[in-house]
Amino acid sequence: MIRQTLTGGPVHPAARIHARDALAGKLDRREFMARTTALGLTAAGASALIGLSAPALAQSAAAPRRGGTLRMQMEVRQLKDPRTFDWSEMAWVASGWLEYLVEYNNDGSFTPMLLESWEVSDDAMHYTLNVRPGVSWNDGTPFTAEDVAFNIRNWCQRDAEGNSMAGRFAVIIDDATGEAMDGAIEVVDDLTVRLNLPAPDITLIAGMGDYPACIVPQDYDPADILSTQKGTGPYLNVEHAIGVRSVLVRNEDHDWWGYAAGKGAWLDRIEFIDYGQDPVSWLAAAEAGEVDLVYESVGDFIDLFDALGWTRREVVSGATIVIRPNQLAEVDGMRPYADKRVRQALVKAVDNTVCLDLGYAARGVPADNHHVAPIHPEYAEVPRLPHDPAAALALLEEAGMADFEFELVSIDDDWRRNTTDAVAAQLRDAGFSVTRSVIPGSTFWNNWTTFPFSSTNWNHRPLGTQILGLAYRSGEPWNEFGFASDDFDSLLAEANAIADADARREVMARLQAILVEEGVTIQPYWRSLYRHHRPEVVGADMHIAYMPRLYRFGFAG
Amino acid sequence: MGLFILRRLGVMLLTALCLTFIVFFLTNLSPNLEKLAKTQGNFRMTDAQVESFLRDRGYLQPTIVKYGQWLGVTPGWVIEGRDGTVRSKCFGELETGDLPEGETNLCGVLQGNWGYSTVFRDDVGEIIATRLALTGKLMFWVMLVMVPGALVIGVLAGMREGSRTDRSLSTVSILTTATPEYVSGVVFIAVFASSAVGLRWFNGSATSAMEQATFVNFTLPVMTIALYGMGYIARMTRASMTEVMTAQYIRTARLKGVSFRNIVLKHALRNALIAPFTVIMLQFPWLLNGVVIVETIFNYKGFGWTLVQAAGNNDIELLLGVSVVSVFVVLVTQLLSDIGYVYLNPRIRIS
Repeated sequence: MIRQTLTGGPVHPAARIHARDALAGKLDRREFMARTTALGLTAAGASALIGLSAPALAQSAAAPRRGGTLRMQMEVRQLKDPRTFDWSEMAWVASGWLEYLVEYNNDGSFTPMLLESWEVSDDAMHYTLNVRPGVSWNDGTPFTAEDVAFNIRNWCQRDAEGNSMAGRFAVIIDDATGEAMDGAIEVVDDLTVRLNLPAPDITLIAGMGDYPACIVPQDYDPADILSTQKGTGPYLNVEHAIGVRSVLVRNEDHDWWGYAAGKGAWLDRIEFIDYGQDPVSWLAAAEAGEVDLVYESVGDFIDLFDALGWTRREVVSGATIVIRPNQLAEVDGMRPYADKRVRQALVKAVDNTVCLDLGYAARGVPADNHHVAPIHPEYAEVPRLPHDPAAALALLEEAGMADFEFELVSIDDDWRRNTTDAVAAQLRDAGFSVTRSVIPGSTFWNNWTTFPFSSTNWNHRPLGTQILGLAYRSGEPWNEFGFASDDFDSLLAEANAIADADARREVMARLQAILVEEGVTIQPYWRSLYRHHRPEVVGADMHIAYMPRLYRFGFAG
Repeated sequence: MGLFILRRLGVMLLTALCLTFIVFFLTNLSPNLEKLAKTQGNFRMTDAQVESFLRDRGYLQPTIVKYGQWLGVTPGWVIEGRDGTVRSKCFGELETGDLPEGETNLCGVLQGNWGYSTVFRDDVGEIIATRLALTGKLMFWVMLVMVPGALVIGVLAGMREGSRTDRSLSTVSILTTATPEYVSGVVFIAVFASSAVGLRWFNGSATSAMEQATFVNFTLPVMTIALYGMGYIARMTRASMTEVMTAQYIRTARLKGVSFRNIVLKHALRNALIAPFTVIMLQFPWLLNGVVIVETIFNYKGFGWTLVQAAGNNDIELLLGVSVVSVFVVLVTQLLSDIGYVYLNPRIRIS
């Protein structure tokens, strides 16, 4: 008999509704898994509901052998307070000793890590988090519910500079104090935390699985997490040279909970080596045998890595690129993109399929400029503004901007530059005057949110409402669009209060329609993500959200 | 002679001062400071926040004052920020608001404090020492390949002017010296390292050479730099050699029946090497130039790579450190070349 829920408690009623939908073909399997596991079902239990046998877990048939040094191409960036991480690569290093409460899987489901299980109440206003027993910090002290409560409170500090976790936990943040509300986080006993929400929110578990959600100890130093390295994970960092390399080695003095749980942590040593942002260097490193796997393979390099005889790992995702104007940006003393007609003109002039073909070698599916992917549970089919270059130019003329010189900025890399070039070329074809600026990666990210007109890559996130909350809600730190709309914000709050994805879809359709109608961004396609590694590396699947799962990595035995 | 060296050292100091001041001035222009503030703080800072960030950290003082503090001739700043924290250049955040008793408030280059790199989060002195050592390793092998190679080619070409050997070696020299590193580096990688041609004799990445240099991972970067300089030095050697070979005393020696081999090795060579010596010394600054490109192409994290990173991120103190070292290298090699020239060629007298 398989256990259906993580806690052994009764199955959430919505899960049975989802199961019915899934069997009726209204839900695909990924969506079904994402929704039901977020409600506290086990992956096996969820599969059983729709009559599938327990899914083969992502562990490969050949169990890795213990030991070995893995060398990985990855940018090595300055570490900071985990809740302010703005690069997955930071989390890759920190995840050596800082772990997550839950883990998001490639099939859209959630697996408990530092939590043993969780339950969500029917109205999605009460979460019961059960802390995994027997977990200890690497200084020997036990990991308790107090630690979980501390981290959630820590995430809720809205005024902490750059804290993006506050966006994910906005529902329990007190507007007046900018901190977690009184009574929202309740420590029931040593191993139980209850979250009492003032309004329903379905994204909290997903938020706990995102890369800035590393669980830090209560006495951590936000300014320098490398100094003490107190954490629950199996590795320690012994060298972190920014731009050069970062090295994790097994913490021999620490009895990691995962050893007993059969999680792995096979490798003795993991080296992240920085080869800059040019994939040519990554390929050179692979050819030279200096690395065993790359962080990500992109564009034409996918074929080149194939040609090396490396193993290709692929996952279809909601990762994308936006080519967006910033509505607040000033150019020559005016705000060219504050005018909706200008934004709509930009969107109408661009055929998204062309961007996909030229920019990403057709490795993905075209999108509709509203940044909600078909693989998101609440996706509603909302068409883009029609591609019509003639109408675009007419709109531009109507706005009195026909002779405006658009400066389109992108980072200097492969697919992002090519896609941005494809947009620029189509704008020129439509009669716009466009100059392109290509900025090296070392300086591009210094002010990525404030370029007047530029392209940015966005990672996949489990729920559509999450990405809208992070990137499009007014005043969010990552709102690079300068987009602020009260209607949008209140609809988003409404969507976040609907536990059932089908019901939520109606609100979602309106949100997506606002983004399309306002011409907020060109968001041309959804990417498939790829990673290559040497054939003897195992457990290094590409992750849909670039999450580090270092404990799975190893060499074939 | 002593006076001459002293004077050269004086010039060196003056050049270093001027150059660092120019770099200091440029990196402290207000758009650069704003960029720095946004990288250090966060990207969404308002103009007022940027201003208070910069003010609290001493960036908004007059440039000349800041420069004095960097040098260590004027006392480091102590500023009470708007948040109430008292910060100082030399002692970090001051909890009591007072400087520690009995310590001088000078912490600049003269006191041995090169500052702190905002990109690498480390002491500038330490970064430069590490990176310079790596570039030193690269340079050593470049010199080892370049100098003997160039001299042999030059002498072989110059001993019989106009011969077939001379023509072909000269062509090769001109070809290598006319090919800049960013061209030859890429061509070498494509031909010798990539699957495109399929030779794959060497590595197209020298990252592993930082720890353990081998024939496979270090050949291409070394050859890329060496070939460029080699052609130039070979040309100079050849010119000097042909000139010597037409001199009266060589003709006399030939008429007396000295073998060609002995003429070249015993009589011509020493005189022919005077001119190349200067050129070789002057190659050092050129090499410093070349490593910027080669280290970036081959991902070898030495001095040139550091310069690129520092410049790209407006890392003021690191960039200044890099400039000082560069000035030092250029002027010291010139000084050595002048002194060496005197010893090699007794006809030259320093007035």
